[in-house]
Formats: sequence, C-alpha cells, structure tokens
Amino acid sequence: MTTLVTLERVSFGYPGAARPALTEVSLEVRPREVLLVTGPAGAGTSTLLLVATGFAPRVVGGTLGGVRRLAARRCGVVFARPWTQLTGLCSTVRDEVAFGPASLGLPRAAVLAAAARALEQLRVAHLADRDPSQLSGGELQRVVVAAALALEPDVLALDDPAAELDPEAADALYDALPSFAAGGTAVLLATPDLQRAARVATRVIGVADGRVVADGRPAEVLTGTDVALLARAADCPPPFPVDVSALLGRIAPDASRRGHDPSDAPPAGSGPDPGATAR
Amino acid sequence: MIGYVPGASALHRAHPYTTLAAAAALLMGAFAMTGPLEVWVLVAAAAVFAAVGGVLRASARTALLLSLPVWVLLFVLHGLLGPDPRVAVGPVVLSAPGLARALVLGGRLAAIVLGFLTALAAVSPHRLVEAMTADGAPFGRAFLLASTLTVLPRMRERAARILEAQQCRGLRLRGSPLSRLKALVPLALPLVLGALAEVDEQVLALDARGAASGARRTALEPPRDSTWQRALRWTLLLFVVAAYAWKFWRLRR
Amino acid sequence: MDVRLAGIRFSYGAVEALRGVDLALAAGEQVALLGPNGAGKTTLTRLLVALRRPSAGRVTVGDWEVAHRRPDEMARRVGYVFQHADQQLFARSIEEDVAFGPRCLGLRRPRVGPVLEELGLAAVARLHPYDVPAPTRKLVALAGVLAMEPRVLVLDEPTAGLDRPQRDLVVEALRGRARDGVTVLAVSHDLGFVAEAADRVVVMREGRIAEDRPVRELLWDAPALRGLGLRPPATVEVSVALRLGGRPVRTAEVVEGMRGVKWRQAPE
Repeated sequence: MTTLVTLERVSFGYPGAARPALTEVSLEVRPREVLLVTGPAGAGTSTLLLVATGFAPRVVGGTLGGVRRLAARRCGVVFARPWTQLTGLCSTVRDEVAFGPASLGLPRAAVLAAAARALEQLRVAHLADRDPSQLSGGELQRVVVAAALALEPDVLALDDPAAELDPEAADALYDALPSFAAGGTAVLLATPDLQRAARVATRVIGVADGRVVADGRPAEVLTGTDVALLARAADCPPPFPVDVSALLGRIAPDASRRGHDPSDAPPAGSGPDPGATAR
Repeated sequence: MIGYVPGASALHRAHPYTTLAAAAALLMGAFAMTGPLEVWVLVAAAAVFAAVGGVLRASARTALLLSLPVWVLLFVLHGLLGPDPRVAVGPVVLSAPGLARALVLGGRLAAIVLGFLTALAAVSPHRLVEAMTADGAPFGRAFLLASTLTVLPRMRERAARILEAQQCRGLRLRGSPLSRLKALVPLALPLVLGALAEVDEQVLALDARGAASGARRTALEPPRDSTWQRALRWTLLLFVVAAYAWKFWRLRR
Repeated sequence: MDVRLAGIRFSYGAVEALRGVDLALAAGEQVALLGPNGAGKTTLTRLLVALRRPSAGRVTVGDWEVAHRRPDEMARRVGYVFQHADQQLFARSIEEDVAFGPRCLGLRRPRVGPVLEELGLAAVARLHPYDVPAPTRKLVALAGVLAMEPRVLVLDEPTAGLDRPQRDLVVEALRGRARDGVTVLAVSHDLGFVAEAADRVVVMREGRIAEDRPVRELLWDAPALRGLGLRPPATVEVSVALRLGGRPVRTAEVVEGMRGVKWRQAPE
C-alpha cells in the first residue's frame, strides 16, 4: 500500500511570521484512512492540512524545511466557510461541481460524468440545476465538498467542514466520510467537533504548538472528550471508549441494549451497584 | 442596481463579446464626440442599449443617482464661472460656452455610466468565462475579468452586514460631518480586511479545483456566436475609429 | 432585564418568516433558541436590536419600546454577538477593538481589561485581530460586546468553530452575566453548549414556536429530540441511560452523579 504523503521532520513558517507554524513534524498518510488532526486553536492543525496536501508553500507562500514526499496525484481542500469556495462564475450547481474536472481539460462527457458521480455521493443530485448563490449553508457546504470530490483526489483535506451546518446536516457529512475513504481517498480532517469526528476517524494526530504530540488510534489519543471524562468517572481503565454506545456497552450493558426507557429496572450483576447511593 | 440581472433579452442571449463591444463602443464614442448635440445623441443610443437589455428603468435610475452630484458641480463650475458670451436660462444667466461644456461632460458621464451598468446587467460572468475558455484564454485572465464584474454587488452586500454589526456596537451615523467621517473607518476597514481574508481562502479553493492546472479548460456550454454578431462587433469598432478620425480631422481644421 | 415579544409577524417580501410569535424572557434567564435553518431564529433575534421591524406585534426590552429606537440606541441595553466576527473587527489591536463599543457608548475604558482576562485574550491583547486564528477572533467579537455591559445578550452560534476550552470560557462568561441579572438568548446548534449554558430551550419551526421547555426536560426527552432531528449530547445520553436522579444535563452534574455510585465493569 503506497504512502500518499510522507513528512519527515518538516517545518513550515508563513511569510513574515515570527515563529514557525510547524516544527519537526513527521507523518505518513495512507490511502483509505480518515485522519483526524486535533489541537488547540492556533496549534497548527489547519497549517498541517495545507502542508500535507501541498498547498503550502506553493499557494500560500512561506518556507518549508525537512523532507516532504507527495505521491498523491491530486489533493482537494474544503474550508469552513462554503461561500468563499464558490467560483462565483457558475450559474448552476452542476457547473460548479464540474468546474474541477473541466479545469483539467478532460473531455466534456467525462467532466459531466465525474460531476454526476460527486453529486450522488453527497446526495445533492436534486440541487443540480439550482443557482449556488441561492442555497442554504448546509446545502452549499455539501455542494462544495462534491466539487472537491469531483476531481477524484487521492487526499481530501477538510478544515472544520460542518461549522456552518445544523446538527442533522453535520451528522450526514461526517457519516459520509468513511465512504469517501472506501474509494481509496485519504481523508484529513481538522475540527474542534471531536464528538462527531471520533465516530469516523481511523487515526488521530494530536498537535500542540506546531508539533505532533500524539499519533494513534482514537481511543488512545482522544483522552479529553466528554466520553473519556465520563469513562473516568465510572472508573474505566484506559484506553477509553470514543463514543457513547461503546461507553455504555462497557459500564451498563443492559441500558444500552434496551434503549432509553426510564421504566425499566436494571437487572442485578452489572451496571450501578444496587446497594450504593445513586444521586 | 449594480451587477448581473438574469434575463432573456437580446443582450442576454447575445454572445458576451457582442454586448461588451457595444458598451465599449459607447464608452469610447463618448470621448470622440465633442459637441453637446452629438454627445446627447450618444446618450440616447445608450438608453436604447439599456432598453434592448430590458434594464432601462433600473439602470437609468442608478445612473441618475450616480451622475446627479457631478452634473450639479459641472453646471456650477462651467455654467456660472465660464467665459462670456452669456445666455439667460430662466432666472439665471449662464456662460454659453460653459453650458455647452457642461452638457458635453455631463452627457459623456451619462453615456458611460448607462453603458457600463447595462453591460454589467446583461453579461453573466459565467457565460463570459465560458466564452473566453472556448477561445483558449488562460483561466486566470478570464477569472480576473469576471471577478471585476461581480465585485460591486459582493462588496455592497458585505458593507450592509458590516453596517449592522457596527451599529449594534453603538456606532452612530448622525452628528457633525467630522464624526460621520470618523464613522467611515469602522465601516471601511472590516470591508477591506474581511475581503482580503476571504480572498486567501478563495485562491486556495480555486487552486484546489485545478484552476491553475495549466491544462486547457473544457468549455461545457460555450455561448453561441454567429456571423452577423461578429460583423456587428467589427462595425462597432469601425464606428469608433471613424468617430475619432472625424474628431481629429475637425480639430486640425 | 426582561424582554417581551408579543404577536410578532414578519415577512421578507411575500415570504412569511415569523407567523405569530409570543415570547417572554425574564431577567437572568438563559434561553437557547433552536430550530432548523430557515425557521426564523435569526430573524427573531434581529427584532430585538431594531435591525428589523415586525409587520405586526410589539417588542419591548425593559421599559423600552423597540419600535421607537434605532440599533445604535438599542446597543445600550442589548448586546448582539453576530455569528461571523470578521464583519466587525477593524482596530489596530484586539484591545482597541474591544474598547470600540464602550467608547461609542461613552463608557470608561477600564472595562476592557477584565473582559479580555475572562476570555483568555490577555496574552494577545496587543496583536492585530487578523493575526490570531479565526476561532480566537470570535472571542474578540464576544469580548467587544461584553465590554459594553448590556443587560440583555443575544448571541448567534457563539460556539461554532470553538474548541472545548474556548467553549467553556464562553459558558462561564454567560453564567456570570446571568447571575447578575443579564438575560441571555443564544441561537445554537451545539447541544453540548445548550446543556451547559441554558435553563430553558425554545424550539422554532416554520416561523412559530414549536416547543418551550426547561432544558432538563427537553434534553431528557429522546423522542422529542429525535422528532426535531437532534441527538442529545454525549453527557445527556449517558445520564439518561444510567437513569441518574435529578436529570443532570451539565457535564459537571453528570460526573458528580456517576461518582456517587459504585461501578461494575462489564467483562470485555
């Protein structure tokens, strides 16, 4: 399995910045991964996405140190604000999504086929004839992701893609990420929404102050989430579960199987100790 | 009304180059005309242009709003302060050559603004880029041109939102002229800074979609051109050349 | 300060965005406003600061009739925090930008320092707003409104894009204000934030109020949440599944509730 991106002790500084944004970062990105990059605001998560996909320094300027090998043919990037990612030149969603393949000079039939495929993947085929400037935030963001996917990138970087979305649309977007990866694309995700990201990530990179401080499975790295907090309160040993159903499976198996019906009494033998004080 | 207005007029359906050529002819023709009568015939032509585009009322209103302050200034400067002989216009006595000059300059402004607004309204940036793509123009050039066409409506929308935000922080738009001038700073700066920040993202997004790939873009639906439209464009060019030739011939006499 | 909306109707041209809304907020209440996009939430909040005028109905903030006021006058009582900070930041430094609102209102400058401390912005106070990351700029915008010391706070998606520590700062800042009698109305999709920061949840749908319930009731009502297309936050899901007494919804309460219990681990 070829590695798509290899970073070996890479450093990066934006033009004119006093401090480097990334220092001595080593990372490998492989096909079919959903890689969550997490860290406090300003830690360098967005910068890491740009460096790993080759947009920094080529488009944003700055200096790159260390070794970077980009075996990926094409990389896509999607940001949080959908309206900044519209070309502003297309009067229909179909044209907007077809913009990428058209830019590559592919024959017309191939361009339209790629656009149709991407629209299907994001379930926005019904918006194909609409004017992009008239769409809601949630619809627009899905169109923008479709536009990036239409190029069939080897690596797709998403920077807080659900920031403008309501909960249903956000769930739908995150839940679709594994299907993009299944096609061979590596998905790089930077977001503060750990609860949604944890459900779909296959690997987590922790970044602090421009350095990689953790690299492993979600359960190993995501020790600060609400679920981890609750697991600790229930005296679970690490590694903590990453989502609620896993947690409930560990500490109260019957409650999670039966659902949230408050009238059921817990059976003896598991869950809270019947003799202890329940608050 | 400044910006593209969807429609089905002859100007909308024409090849974008044709509509732009007509607007350019009005613009350049306006400077070739030297007498008040000629200039205002051109203004009438601009009005016809706007009517063909189906946007006469809206663009005339905007053109009037934009031109009126300048017209007043022109009439004061040239009409009142110009050289003799003088002519009575109602209760005021104005300089005749000054009045003629004001009419020429005012008419030029009207023709240019009307032509420009109509072109903006009738040329869809999308179709323009498609036309340029079909001709093999590099994407960067086409995008720059199309972005220039859409910058005004985008800025206006943005400015409205900034105004709301700053008013909610207590910014007063009333009071002395000085305080109103100072109020421009919290309105203009976010406009510029925010636009610059968004441009960064947009450039990245476009690059990511292959805009700079260097390959020749596939035009999906290039606007249809026709022989008579090409002929029309050449005719307009000839008209402009002839107008300037006539102007210089008259100057030399 | 209390806020009252009575019989509110509002239309954008032919489209009726608000169809008869009655809402009363008491001083010190923290209310979350939920609903799908297009339900009328943002429109409703704009009415409170006179950015829009209703086609029918009455809006009062304390003893002021909003119909008789301009937005810059309303700024004395109601602080509106817009969703996108970048439409208002402009000063040379964060400190100066936060001081802009108070200065417009004629308040004294010292109110800026404590607010910057509160939102963790003291370290970056001298930097230009655009030299800090976008989430931090959101906190700067919030600081700018808090420094104006409004009696009513209206926030549009205050935690979108913020990481967990930043969200906690916002929650604490709002709780502190509510204790002082400031009325807080927050439009939010972030149910984790709603659980921490709200006493009451109002849900809008198609221009009307569909639900208006205490937060502990609504977040524990899984079928109602499902009907609204929402999932409870992790802490509430666990709290409900374990049937913790007192219906805890805040993380601290849930953790407390779990600590009072002896756990048995299910075999792996």
